[in-house]
Amino acid sequence: MKTTEHIDIRCPRTLAEALRLQADERTRGTLLAGGTDLMVQWASGVPTPVRATSVWNLPEISAIEVCADCLEIGAGVTHAFLVDCTQVHRHLPALAAAAATVGAAQIQARGTLGGNAANASPAGDTAPALLVTGGSVVLASVSGTREVPLDRFWTAYRRIDARPDEIIVAFRLPKKGKAQERFRKIGTRRAQAISKVMAASRILVEKGRIQSVAIALGSIAPTPVRLSEVEALLAGQKPTPALIDEAEKLAQASVRPIADIRSTAEYRRWASGRLVRAALENL
Amino acid sequence: MAKSLPRIRRLVGQPFPRVDADGKARGTTRYLADRHYPGLRHGVVVRSPVPRGILKAVVPDPDFDWTGIVLATAKDIPGINVVHMHDRTMPLLAEIGGEIRYRGEPVGVVAAKTPELAAAAAARVRVEVDELPPLLTLQEAVATFKSAPARFDSMKNQDIVKGDLAHGFAAADEILEAEYWAGHQEQLYLENQGLVVVPQKDGSILAEGSIQCPYFPVHELNDPLKLPPEKIRVRQTPIGGAFGGKEEYPTMLVGYAAVAALKSGRPVKIAYERHEDILFTPKRHPVWSRYKVGFKKDGTLTAIECDFILDGGAYLTISDVVMFRGILHCAVAYRCDHVTIRGKVARTHSVPCGAFRGFGAPQAIWGIESHVDAIAARLGKTPDAYRLQIHARPGDRTPTGQILSKENGATDCLRLALRRADFARKLKQCSRGRLLKGQKKYYGVGLSFFAHGAAFTGDGEAKFKAKGRVELALLDDGRPGVDIRVSSTEMGQGVHTVFTQIAADALDLDPARIRFPLADTALVPNSGPTVASRTTMVVGNVVHRAALDLKSQIEAFAALRHFRGAAARLRGSRLVAQGGKSVPFAKVAREMLAELGGASGFFQFELPADIRWDQTTFKGDSYPGYSWSANVAEIEIDPLTCEIAVKRVCAVLDIGRVVNPVTAAGQVEGGLTQALGYALLEKIGTGPNGLYDAARLQTYIIPTALDVPEFDVKFVEYPYSFAPPGAKGLGELPMDGLAPAIANAVAAAIGVRLRRLPITPEAIHAALHPVSGGAP
Repeated sequence: MKTTEHIDIRCPRTLAEALRLQADERTRGTLLAGGTDLMVQWASGVPTPVRATSVWNLPEISAIEVCADCLEIGAGVTHAFLVDCTQVHRHLPALAAAAATVGAAQIQARGTLGGNAANASPAGDTAPALLVTGGSVVLASVSGTREVPLDRFWTAYRRIDARPDEIIVAFRLPKKGKAQERFRKIGTRRAQAISKVMAASRILVEKGRIQSVAIALGSIAPTPVRLSEVEALLAGQKPTPALIDEAEKLAQASVRPIADIRSTAEYRRWASGRLVRAALENL
Repeated sequence: MAKSLPRIRRLVGQPFPRVDADGKARGTTRYLADRHYPGLRHGVVVRSPVPRGILKAVVPDPDFDWTGIVLATAKDIPGINVVHMHDRTMPLLAEIGGEIRYRGEPVGVVAAKTPELAAAAAARVRVEVDELPPLLTLQEAVATFKSAPARFDSMKNQDIVKGDLAHGFAAADEILEAEYWAGHQEQLYLENQGLVVVPQKDGSILAEGSIQCPYFPVHELNDPLKLPPEKIRVRQTPIGGAFGGKEEYPTMLVGYAAVAALKSGRPVKIAYERHEDILFTPKRHPVWSRYKVGFKKDGTLTAIECDFILDGGAYLTISDVVMFRGILHCAVAYRCDHVTIRGKVARTHSVPCGAFRGFGAPQAIWGIESHVDAIAARLGKTPDAYRLQIHARPGDRTPTGQILSKENGATDCLRLALRRADFARKLKQCSRGRLLKGQKKYYGVGLSFFAHGAAFTGDGEAKFKAKGRVELALLDDGRPGVDIRVSSTEMGQGVHTVFTQIAADALDLDPARIRFPLADTALVPNSGPTVASRTTMVVGNVVHRAALDLKSQIEAFAALRHFRGAAARLRGSRLVAQGGKSVPFAKVAREMLAELGGASGFFQFELPADIRWDQTTFKGDSYPGYSWSANVAEIEIDPLTCEIAVKRVCAVLDIGRVVNPVTAAGQVEGGLTQALGYALLEKIGTGPNGLYDAARLQTYIIPTALDVPEFDVKFVEYPYSFAPPGAKGLGELPMDGLAPAIANAVAAAIGVRLRRLPITPEAIHAALHPVSGGAP
C-alpha cells in the first residue's frame, strides 16, 4: 500500500554546499538526482527517507568535458544529453546507444548517468557501456576527491564503493580511439523496458588480430560484469568463426544468471553468448 | 416537392468527430478522482493473507487509535451475505467460520478520513485463518482433469453436440490432436477501479463511479444490502477505459463501499492504486483446450472434438457465460457435420476471472485457428487455400444448428485480407527455420479467420428486451434539443458519438442539438450492460427506433399546431409541410415542452419471432448475427536473440454497417494492439503465495507505440438488416484472432508450432533448443 510521507528535500545551489550537507550526519540526505528510480521505489513500499539532498542541476556536475584522451562526464548529465551529444557519439558510441534505450523520452530527460550508476541495479542500462571504457568514477566529499575504477565500483547487488558523505561527481571515460564499440540490449519490449540481458563491447582489431578487448554484460549477475575469461580467450587472436563460436560457448559457460519475472536463467545464459557473438562478428 | 428540399447529409457512415473529445483533450472532463464529496471517507479493503483456509477472526489491533475510523466486516452486512452473480455462492465479505477461497479475498473494509490513515488502519487488522492447501493454477486443475477426472472441480459444464462424433472419426483418413494454453490477461484500463457510495436519508444508496454496467449493482446487491432495486441508484462518472474489467467487478466494489458507508453514515470512496487493481481484480480466463480433429485426404473435416477448460478462479461470478461464448466460438467458422465440444469452468484458489474484451472467444479462436493451420500443414495445403475450402458460408449449419444468414461477409473478409496482404506470395518467403537468401531474420506470415457472435448469447436479447428513450429537453445552452436516455456507457469506444449520429439521422436534426448524458439508473431505462459487442447493434437500433418515435410525435404536434393538420415532416432541423412555411424545430420543441411538459420516444428491442434457442441443449440460434474477420500477421524473429517483432498486420472485418469509419478503425487498431500483447508480451502467473507475480506496470508488459506494427484495416459491409442502421458487433472482434495469426506466422518463420501464449523469446528459444546451451 502506497503511503505518502513528508520528505525534507534540501536543494543546494553548489556542489560545495551539497558536500557540506552530506558531510554531517544530521543534515545528510538520500541523494536525489532525476528521481526516476527513487520516485518509483518510494511509491512501491521502500521506506521513504526523512531527508533528501537534491543534486539535480548542480552546475559543477552537469557538463561534459572533452579532454585529449578521455571524456569527463558530469554525474548530473542526463541520458537525453548523452543521446544528443555528438562528442559522446563519436568517442563513446556504446554509451550513447545505451542511454538511448533507457525508459522513454521522459525518463531520459530526467534520469542522470550518476543516478543510473548509484542506483546500482544489475539492469542499469549504462553500466556495461561504462565498464568497457576501462574508466573510473570520481567521488567527492568535503575532504577531497578520489577515483574508483569502474570495474571495482559495483561491489555487490545494489552496492557501490562510495561512503555516505561522498557524491558521485563525474565519470572519466577514455575515448575509444580506433576501437569499435557495440551495444545491444534485449529488453522486455521495444521501449520502456528493463533489460533481460545486455552487452557492451570495445574491441580493437589491428593487423587482423584483436589487440584489445573489453566485453561487459548486464542483468546476468548481481552486478554488471566484465567477461574476463572471454576477454582472455580473445586477446591477441584472429577473430575467426571458430574463435567466435568458442567465445560464445565460453560466455555461456561462465555466466550464472538467475530466473526472475523478466526472463529465464536458460535464456539469459544462451543470450549472453549470443550477444558476445554479436560483439565479435564482422569486426 | 421533395426535390426542392436541401439534400440531407446522413451522418451514419461518416467520420463524425467524437462528441466527448473536447473535454477529454482539454482536461475538463471530470473523472471520479476530480470530484469532491463533502464528508467523504476513504475505504480500504482488508484482505485474506492466504489463498485458502477457514477464517477464524478479524481483529482490530487494540494498540492502534481507531477514533473516527470504521471497520466493517461480514457482521455489518445488513442482509444476507451473498452477491448475486450467475450463481449465489460468493459472500460479499468472508464470514468468520467460512472458507477463504483466494488470496486477497475481502474480509472487511476500513473507512477513514484520508487514504493514508485508512491504509494504515487496514494494516493493523489481524486476519486469522486456519490454512488449507490451495489449488492455485489451471495447470494443476488440468492435471487432475486428465489423471483423476472425478476429482476435477468444475463450477459449470456445458456441451455442444452436433451429429455423431464416432461416425465422424470413422470417416476420417487422419486425425490430429493437440493442446493449446493461454494465461491470464489484465485489462489495464488507464483509470483504475474506483467509485463512491453515498448513503441517502431515506436509507437508499447512490453509487457513482467508473462503472461499465450501471444496472448490475442495482440487481445484484439486494440481498446483502437489504435494499430493493429502486433504492440502489447508480450513476456513471466518465470512464477511463474498461475493456470488460468494469463489467461485473464494480458490483463487488459498490458492495464493499456500501457496507462501510451504511455503517459510518458517510460517503465512502474506494479507489484502487494500480498495484491493488492488478492484484485483486478479474483478468481474462486462462484456457486449456484440446482439439482432436478428423479429416479426409481432400481436407474435408469429418469430426471436431474439443475439450475447453477455463480457469474461473475461486467463484463462478460470470464465468459460465464466458465459457458458453468460448465453446460457441470453438468451431463456428468451419464446415463440419460431427462436432462435440465440452466446456468446463475449473475452480482454482485465485482471484475470480471475469469479463475481458472477447469474453472467451479469443481463448477458443486461439486453439482452433492454430489447429486448422496445423491440419493444413499435415495435408500439404496452404493455410489460405485450406481456409477458403472449409470455411462456413451462408446457408451452412453451425455446431448448434443455426443456419448462417446471407448477411455474412466471411468469404469477402478472407479473400480481401489475402489479397491486401499479398499472402500467397509472402507465404513463399517464410523461413521455416532456415534463413532464405537475403534474409537476416526469420520471416513468417500467418493467417487467422474467425467470427464473433454479436450481442447476448442465444435468446438473451429476446428475453432481455433492451429499452431506451429519446426525449425533448432543454440543453446546456438553454435551447431545446434531445436527450438520449439509455444505460450504455461511454468508456472510450465512442458510443456517445455513434448514438448521436444515429439519433441525428433518425430525427433529421442538427447533431449539436443532441445530448447523451452519462447513464444514471434513476433517469435511464435499462438498455442492458455495455458488453458483448451489442451496443451499436442492439441499443443503436433502440435509439434509432426511439428517435423515430419521437420524430413522429413532433411531426404530429406540428401538423396540428402549424399546418392545419397537413402531414408535417422534420427535415434538416425544420418542420415542413406541403403548402406551409417551414417552422424551426426549436420553436416546435419549446411549444411541446411548455404545453405537454415534454415528449419522449421509446423503443423496446425484440428479436425476430423465429429465433430458436435451447439453453439446456445448446441447440438453435446462438447469436442474432455474426461479425467476421480475417487477420494476416507478418513477423520477424532475430536468430541472434529469438526476439520477435510484428511488422505488419492486415485486418479485414465485416461488422455490418459501419456507423463511424474513423472510430471503428480506431477500435480495431486498439483491439489488435491488445491482442498483440496477449500473443507476445502479457505474462502473469500465480505465485506460490497465491498472488500474481507481475502486478506492476514495471513487470506486466503491454505493448508500447514502438511495439505496434503497421496496420491495414478494411471493412466489408454486410448490414444486419433486422436492426437499422444495421451494425453488427465490433468491440471484441479485433481482440479475437490476432494471437493465432501471430502464432501461425511464428510457425512459418521457425518451423516449430508454439502452443502456449504468450510467445516470448524465451519460449522460442526453448522450442529451437530443446537442450539448453549451444548455438542454433
